[in-house]
Amino acid sequence: MKEPNSNDDKIRFSRRGFIKTAGPTATAVMAGNVDQASAEMERERAEKPLGPGPVAIELNVNGTVHKVSVEPRITLLDVLRNELDLTGAKEVCDRAQCGACTVLLDDEPVNACMMLAVAVQGRKIRTIEGISPNGKMNKLQEEFVKHDAMMCGFCTPGFVTSLTNLLETVPTATDEQIMKACSGHLCRCGTYPHILKAARAAAGRTEVPS
Amino acid sequence: MNKFEYIKATTAESACAAAGKTTRFHGGGIDLLGEMKDYLSSPSRVIDVSGLDRSISDEGDHWKLGGAVRLVDIENHEGLQQSLPGLTQAAEHVGSPQIRNLATVGGNISQHSRCWYYRHPDVKCLKAGGSTCYAQEGINKFHAIFFEGACLSPVVSNLGVALSALDATARVMRAGQVRDMTMEAFYEDADVNPRAHNSLKPDDLVVSVKIPKTRAKSSYVQFSEKETFDWALVSCSAAANMEGDMLSDLRLYLGVVSPIPHTKAAALRKLEGVRLTESAVEQAAAALLQGADTSEHNRYKVPLAKTAVKRAILALGGKK
Amino acid sequence: MSGWPENPKYLGKRTLRVDGKEKVTGQAKYTYDQHPKGMLYGMILRSKWAAARVNAVDLSPALKIPGVKAAIVIDKTPRDIRFYGQEIAAVAAETPEIAEEAIRAILVDATPNPFVVTPEESLKEGAPSVFRNRQNVSTAKTRTKKNASQGLADAAAVAEVMVSTQVCVHHPLETHGNVIDWSTGDEMTVWASTQAISSVRRGLAKPLGIQQNKVRVISEFMGGGFGAKFQAGVEGVACAKLSKEAGAPVKLMLSRFDNHHSVGNRPCTYQHIKIGADKNGKLTGFISKGFGSAGYASGGETAGGGGGAGFPSPYVYDVDNVESSQVGVAINAGSARAFRAPAHPPACFGMEAAMDALAEKLEMDPVEFRKKNTGHEVRLGQFDIASEKFGWKQKYKKPGTSKGVVKTGIGCTTGEWGGGGKGSQAEVEISSDGTVEVRCGTQDLGTATKTSIAVVAAETLGLRPSDISPKLGDTRYPPSGGSGGSTTSPSVCPAIKVACDNALEELKEVSGMANVTGANWKKACAKIGPDPLVVQGKWREGLSGRGTAGVQMAEVEVDTETGFIKVKKIVLVQDCGLLVNLQTAESQTNGGVIMGISYALYEERVMDEQTGVSLNPNFETYKLPTLADMPEIGLTLQSMPERGVIGIGEPVTVPTAAAIANAVSNAIGARITSLPITPAKVLDALNGETPAVEKLAWDRVASLTTHGDFINLDKQEWIA
Repeated sequence: MKEPNSNDDKIRFSRRGFIKTAGPTATAVMAGNVDQASAEMERERAEKPLGPGPVAIELNVNGTVHKVSVEPRITLLDVLRNELDLTGAKEVCDRAQCGACTVLLDDEPVNACMMLAVAVQGRKIRTIEGISPNGKMNKLQEEFVKHDAMMCGFCTPGFVTSLTNLLETVPTATDEQIMKACSGHLCRCGTYPHILKAARAAAGRTEVPS
Repeated sequence: MNKFEYIKATTAESACAAAGKTTRFHGGGIDLLGEMKDYLSSPSRVIDVSGLDRSISDEGDHWKLGGAVRLVDIENHEGLQQSLPGLTQAAEHVGSPQIRNLATVGGNISQHSRCWYYRHPDVKCLKAGGSTCYAQEGINKFHAIFFEGACLSPVVSNLGVALSALDATARVMRAGQVRDMTMEAFYEDADVNPRAHNSLKPDDLVVSVKIPKTRAKSSYVQFSEKETFDWALVSCSAAANMEGDMLSDLRLYLGVVSPIPHTKAAALRKLEGVRLTESAVEQAAAALLQGADTSEHNRYKVPLAKTAVKRAILALGGKK
Repeated sequence: MSGWPENPKYLGKRTLRVDGKEKVTGQAKYTYDQHPKGMLYGMILRSKWAAARVNAVDLSPALKIPGVKAAIVIDKTPRDIRFYGQEIAAVAAETPEIAEEAIRAILVDATPNPFVVTPEESLKEGAPSVFRNRQNVSTAKTRTKKNASQGLADAAAVAEVMVSTQVCVHHPLETHGNVIDWSTGDEMTVWASTQAISSVRRGLAKPLGIQQNKVRVISEFMGGGFGAKFQAGVEGVACAKLSKEAGAPVKLMLSRFDNHHSVGNRPCTYQHIKIGADKNGKLTGFISKGFGSAGYASGGETAGGGGGAGFPSPYVYDVDNVESSQVGVAINAGSARAFRAPAHPPACFGMEAAMDALAEKLEMDPVEFRKKNTGHEVRLGQFDIASEKFGWKQKYKKPGTSKGVVKTGIGCTTGEWGGGGKGSQAEVEISSDGTVEVRCGTQDLGTATKTSIAVVAAETLGLRPSDISPKLGDTRYPPSGGSGGSTTSPSVCPAIKVACDNALEELKEVSGMANVTGANWKKACAKIGPDPLVVQGKWREGLSGRGTAGVQMAEVEVDTETGFIKVKKIVLVQDCGLLVNLQTAESQTNGGVIMGISYALYEERVMDEQTGVSLNPNFETYKLPTLADMPEIGLTLQSMPERGVIGIGEPVTVPTAAAIANAVSNAIGARITSLPITPAKVLDALNGETPAVEKLAWDRVASLTTHGDFINLDKQEWIA
């Protein structure tokens, strides 16, 4: 998968060529096989200036290592959406002000719009697609559907990502913990009350009728 | 964003060696990327220091926080919650969980202005290298009411305010040498130099923060327009020793009312060695706010700051 | 009777959103998520000046950058720029970064002009003109009924309020934009984030000189509109041009920053109201003078319409003697667009503030006082239902009598909306295996239109909603108009029903069976043959209704030392006509209330007179609430099947902000005169300070509304 006009013997990919000539899976390898190699590469890269031109990097997304070529200025969100076609995380504010681009980095929610892709090599990245492999819903997602905790749906993957992370850590999360987990997320349609109900239900509590 | 070189630093020394006048350090990256996306900053090189010292250590008479300690780690640290509640509460009030999972101590205290004139990509204000502080005559509802210089951009670092109250010092590496800066020294330039966000030079790296345990009580309060995920309109942090309802060694700083954490020793002295009553606190608060230079948009900060002082002091005694 | 089934199985019950799974798993593909092969990234260069004469635009430096595939100038030069953020040029490039570099490389030769970005400044003598040779202030529109001055003179008490409301920006989470493939220069495929696929098609075809039948617009999932997404827009036309020029598909989605300036907003209003009542509490007279700005297109001869700054005044309540006049004021800022219940939320805020002030003077209970001034039976009933659910009588205290630092207060308001259905079309395709696809060229803004289609089809055909495959958001389906004005459900649902009724008739004919539903369905369908049965239907009168009423009550806590407001509870009673799907209606109603809370407390576009820019083009300082800001919301959705299907998206957002404002005023004993009610304003009100900005404006309001020729408008339409 070398860039056609590249005479460099290092692995390089043209950003666009990558999408055009091969699907993301073409360069994907299972994480286990390359973890070590990538940690090695990581150490080697430290201290060496990368860029400003395209740099070949490896991203461990949803258990699969993807090789992509990006300039250091490219955000994780842009790589996920534009290179890997993982479009569940949305660009809404582009400034860490809304949570729609939330992904899990080593099992913690972060705003992918404010992260450089080069900076997260060797880290475990999990997106909404990884949370719902082959479209399979977890308990929280089922409760989201049951309680209609969405309207236009553009903020929904972000909320689901943060709340899935919360419930994986604290399966019987309190209202306070749910509120905190949601505090970095904005919804414009106003689905908050149903999100709270869905999260409560997923945490094993049924709604107290008002 | 303009192009840049990226370096992942493995030591403070190598990070500093790679730094220069046109480089920027990357902690959590949120403040930095915001500036870069809006072309307020276009470094030739970004040095990622987020992997440097991430340790929180109890050193007997003080706490030491590595510069790369994340806000989430402070917020959830039981020892700090017990020992320095003012600090952990300040961390907890920053942005969102997503932000606190990335943001670092070094990055939070050295963050740049959030003034909406400064942050606007098409406004070249005094701080951004222009000749006018538009906040002087403009819409300054989020701005300073105490200022020495010509720029009204207030300090917005939650940790900066809390660490000031806790009498912390920042260890800063400059040209390979480390120096310890009091928080006063850390921010003082922002008050006199309208272009400065703090007293750091572009290649200064915050290596660690040292917080003495000399004050048993500490608190932090902030008032915002929203319940969560909002900047403080006014914040206040206090630290002191307390015996019964008598305070001693009180340090108290207000945030977001001045380019630097705001205090007045004379005002605080009113509370030393006297019984803590509501009227004593109100008098001290009034003295602390004496001389505020307000406009129609930010006059509200005076009563708000008085309340902040009152509640921060009450919280020292465990009251909300 | 409405023609709908008397004992429905699904209508008015709970049906889960049919595309819920796609949304919660991130599989739903929005316009923003489209990525056709070879796609380029488009971006728009916008004006840095609030007013300027653009003499020339030089694209060549941009076109020299490797990876830039097309660049266009938006409009012929020389031309005038009238607001910061107005479109000047556009590019398409291989990556977003290259596109951004290209935008920054374009050279614009322009002469900045004086500008004015707030109505207060625009009203001043000698203020810069937004349009050359045209005054910034429009002709006054006046409405009179009998003798208002006499009405006030006859009153036992007169209240006077001066209030203002802010400019809000729609800010749907998916920004405006399109992905357009016109690479061949022949047929065009458009993925649009829109509320009106047919309008987008027409809006692209005309300026681009392409036949409408060559343009296909798709919008299966869209991330919110709220009234701002009815048109192809400058960005749509530019995107198509770039696609043709580059010979490749182009994605041109606006940034959050772009969205703040150029694709609509809710106008600001300033209202000076005098209102009087007799000693029994019956309104005797009403005089209001007001102005507002809908941006650069306000004022001059262009004011009015859904995007204008006018508002109904008096609002809802019955008054015999009325004099109400308004002017629109042009400023150098982006033009308004319809925003969820255009003109109603500000009108409600002004009117209900005046009503509360008058009730206080008359020493009457605010709810009792309101009930004396409406003859609307549904509304009267709603006041009672809401009072009971809310516990109004137990909770009510006179203004300013709440004790302690944290004071509580309550407020009550009412709103109205028109809505109604119009000519939607739909078609039903039944296959021999008994499966059903229902197609309608409408859009689902998140309001669950797709689910409503399944519910109505299932109800009519005697199937389950999950048996129906609903399709929408494609101009290849029968046309259904734009989704706005709360007209979608009342337009779409009848069309689906008629199409399904027609289909049943045809199925009877084809199958030769008298009864084709229930147990006979499969058998009847089996007789269809290889070609499916496709049957059309069209909206008809009688299945939908228009005109709704709603009452809301709010309870707040105000910390008088910090000015912080916590909304504790909202109770809503809304007339919904025939409820289609209770499950999603509740979502939509919560959404309306929350948007009202946001309008009351947080949102405001802030303009800077010195630089001409908006200072808060982001979600950091254009504030939106989070989950923690939510109160308890109690909903009473009144089902009135006999009225047919009625849209509720808009009416439910109208009374909320006014109810919260009245509750805050009740708590602190000082009238809140301006939205949003920030801690700063609460502290100012407690300290007896009037917002300075208002002082400026009111100095001029009296002369304004007597300016120019009066046009008598007895009835105005306030539809989106």
